[in-house]
Amino acid sequence: MVIELFDLRPLIAPLLSALCAFGIMLLGSHAGWRIALSLVASVVKFFIVVSMLPGALDGHVYVFSAGEILPGLDFAFRVDALGLFFGLVSSTLWVLTTIYAIAYMRGSHSLRRFFGFFALCVSTTQAIAFAENLLTLFIFYELLTICTYPLVIHSGTLEARRAGRRYLIYTLSGGAAILAGMVLVYQATGSLSFSSPGLLNPGIDERVLLAMFVLLIGGFGVKAALMPLHAWLPTAMVAPTPVSALLHAVAVVKAGSFGLMRVIYNIFGVDLLDTLGYHHVLAVIAALTIIAASLVALRQDVLKRRLAWSTISQLSYIVLAACLLTPLAALAAVIHIANQAFAKITLFFVAGAIEKTTGKKRISELDGIGWAMPWTMAAFTVASLSFMGVPLLAGFITKWYLSLGALAAGAPIYVGVMMASAILNASYWLPILYRAWFKPGASPDAPVKEAENLLLWPTLGCAAYVILLGIGAQAPAMPFALAQSAVAFAFGLEVASP
Amino acid sequence: MNPVALPSLLPLLVALVPLLGALLLALLGNRRLWLAPLALGSSALTFGLVVVLVAAVRLGFQPEIALMQLAPPMRIVLSADALGALFALTIAALFPLALIYALKFLADDKHLKRFLALTLVAQGLMLGVAFAANLLTLLAFYELFSLISYPLIVHERTPKALAAGLKYIVYIIVGGVFILTGIILVYAVAGDLTFLPGGLLAGDGARAPVLIAWICLMVGFGVKAALMPLHGWVADAHPAAPAPFSAILSGVMVAAGSFGILRVLFEIFGAELLGRLGVMPWLATIAGISAVLAGALAIGEDEFKRRLAYSTISQMAYVVLAIAMLSELALVGALVHISHHAFIKAGLFFCAGLIVAVTGLKKVSEFDGLARRMPATALLLTLLSLAMIGVPPLSGFLSKWLLGVGLIEAGGLVPLAVLVVGTLLAAAYLWPVIFRIWLPNDKVKRARSALAGQPTLMLAALAATALITVVLGLAATLPGFPLELARLAAAQLIGAGG
Repeated sequence: MVIELFDLRPLIAPLLSALCAFGIMLLGSHAGWRIALSLVASVVKFFIVVSMLPGALDGHVYVFSAGEILPGLDFAFRVDALGLFFGLVSSTLWVLTTIYAIAYMRGSHSLRRFFGFFALCVSTTQAIAFAENLLTLFIFYELLTICTYPLVIHSGTLEARRAGRRYLIYTLSGGAAILAGMVLVYQATGSLSFSSPGLLNPGIDERVLLAMFVLLIGGFGVKAALMPLHAWLPTAMVAPTPVSALLHAVAVVKAGSFGLMRVIYNIFGVDLLDTLGYHHVLAVIAALTIIAASLVALRQDVLKRRLAWSTISQLSYIVLAACLLTPLAALAAVIHIANQAFAKITLFFVAGAIEKTTGKKRISELDGIGWAMPWTMAAFTVASLSFMGVPLLAGFITKWYLSLGALAAGAPIYVGVMMASAILNASYWLPILYRAWFKPGASPDAPVKEAENLLLWPTLGCAAYVILLGIGAQAPAMPFALAQSAVAFAFGLEVASP
Repeated sequence: MNPVALPSLLPLLVALVPLLGALLLALLGNRRLWLAPLALGSSALTFGLVVVLVAAVRLGFQPEIALMQLAPPMRIVLSADALGALFALTIAALFPLALIYALKFLADDKHLKRFLALTLVAQGLMLGVAFAANLLTLLAFYELFSLISYPLIVHERTPKALAAGLKYIVYIIVGGVFILTGIILVYAVAGDLTFLPGGLLAGDGARAPVLIAWICLMVGFGVKAALMPLHGWVADAHPAAPAPFSAILSGVMVAAGSFGILRVLFEIFGAELLGRLGVMPWLATIAGISAVLAGALAIGEDEFKRRLAYSTISQMAYVVLAIAMLSELALVGALVHISHHAFIKAGLFFCAGLIVAVTGLKKVSEFDGLARRMPATALLLTLLSLAMIGVPPLSGFLSKWLLGVGLIEAGGLVPLAVLVVGTLLAAAYLWPVIFRIWLPNDKVKRARSALAGQPTLMLAALAATALITVVLGLAATLPGFPLELARLAAAQLIGAGG
């Protein structure tokens, strides 16, 4: 039973970040203002988003409409369970990343521009999460591309500008594909709303449906780094670490995955897709991406590049889970948004902290770093064990539901994919842990030299979340129940109260 | 008689006390003065709590506590049935001895604190394995203690230790993947993972998934239980680890694999379903071959610790062989053998460590006349070797007797022949050790007294294992001793299934 409530909060949450960006552009040449604005806005927004959680768990849906753009197409926000889940993840991480970025970027050039666009990106991500229809989502999706560009090329080097250009080419082409697909959907149904579990009906010509699917999935697949559309992601890692962390492990790529889920669950709908059978192909592509990206990750020596390839692999978990079209797998897809985000951002934070503190970027230089930076590397250990799927950590939950979902879908082969991926994950994370903790460094008795507190605390916070997500699946403030209700909506199930 | 479930914090406390001890050790252990009281205090407290728990189990209670939901609807549940209490008792008695021993054995090691703390963590996690009331809980603790054992095995950081560690971790991770796959299959078939006497899957007929689940679980736990051909890590890990941890490895860690097999066979599949599947003869064959082959290989090993490691493989294979008979008597034998073997083998590893610490000798061929130099150690080594071979009235005889009775009752002459051949092989690989140390050798200087030159603490731990061996042999029927608990456990496991 869904109760729609008119509420300003779906508007305020994105708007607040936008206002913060505006404020920074105006006043941000002064460091104090910059920091104060960023922190206050992120914390306030976090609480606004969290304040919608109890209502959402009771089945309320908060909506805000700003008026029609096209006939039947509102510029509107609608906070359903899936959107709120993504919104919660991104707003939680914004707080942590802001703190981290303040310390990390200290002394860099054009900080006003940096923090301004940073806030804008978060604003657009929030708007994507809360978008009521595909058009609203698309507008902010494109804005996100544009706002990220200045962050990717922040350093201004030739390499950064090349990466930025590549990023733009990929994502804007993806955007064009979405636009085309969107037009087809609108032409066929006269609506683009996400408010139903499946907008399209089976009466539409199958060739048109196929075209829609290919265009929409292909479009969102770019940001979700689905192979072979992934090539922008590893090069975009030239961006400063907080940007890579929030935007490339969370906001941008998750916007892609989130868009995919919207297309699968709200545009096509589970039932229609099941009769069409397109999801089988997508599942195979996702499975191949999982394995292939992991194999490439194995060979990377630069820590951030290994993280980037691991991201590509992990993102496809979401796609694969969404494609299996079973409730259990869908649960894995939703939860993995959070699980991957917190674990991956921890790893990025650590990579940045190591680089900032010691100047080391390569894995082969990390011998003995665990004893020099014990807390930082402890966070790294937790997050990487989570990716391997060690029980009591977040990644295990994903693996568990995804495998069960695959069995329920009658596709045990994907259990095999999960297990192969677990072994691959072990084989590219454990060597790092081995170097850090078990291989003696150049100067074995070097004193402990931790990263500075502002870098360390957000990292530890994220690592704590990884543990919390792994053991506290049913803790009241944790979004597991939210994921359940998102899945229940997509599959038309009664919300099972455990 | 079915035990009465008793909501109680006790199982949780038992697992938590060592973990808290480890935490305190990590926080306060910079002063060497604190190390011994903290490590021994927490493990002694654990032992006390386990004794209380055993008393409760004897009275027909089953202390139980349900913790957080891990992957809803599955919870982490700790529950102490007779089987769990028996394993916990063995663990709780062995760890303090190993810690006492380690205090002296690693006294000059600057990483003593780390060793003690990790050992305590391993203890807490293993107790969690003992009390796991469902397969998911078992998996969580099992995986974590497998991982935490890695730093203990490679404690010395020598190239040899690191190579052994690599081998260990690869085996463990691949084994863990098999276990997880098996568990997922079980859950997909049964919708639950709770250990039920008589078998969770008892009423199930779906052959293929059940059979695959069985194979996965046997392979996964078989890695830890050192079933051939999955035993590759054992012979390398034992000599590489410091002697106190080798004792734990052989004493209880390999047994944890057998314990997992026990739980899975009797409480997930159930004797009746296993009979229908017709798979047990295969397990029995593999175990029988392991027992004989490992015994034969032990004869050829010159390094004492490697010889003992093969002996462990052989001895633990008896346990699996007896389990595979699916009969109550054989099961009693298997359970008693697990705990009797633990103390004998731990004692033998203590001897090996003492010999290395005092003389630096690792190879059996160099042991000539050792009794002149280390009379007390030599005496205890002889006693423990005789127990291992199964000479009355020591504990090894008793457990072999029980095994033999069970095997002949359930399986006839062939399994009994395996036991007899195994025993002869045990004599063949341990007798030369006894023979050599008592060999007159004038080159070895005679010790001034029986105890001279041998570190007292290490000798005390060794003497304690020897004492336990004698007591368990002479007075096995005392209340609360392994035999009684084993009978209780076997009655619960098999009796309930009919």
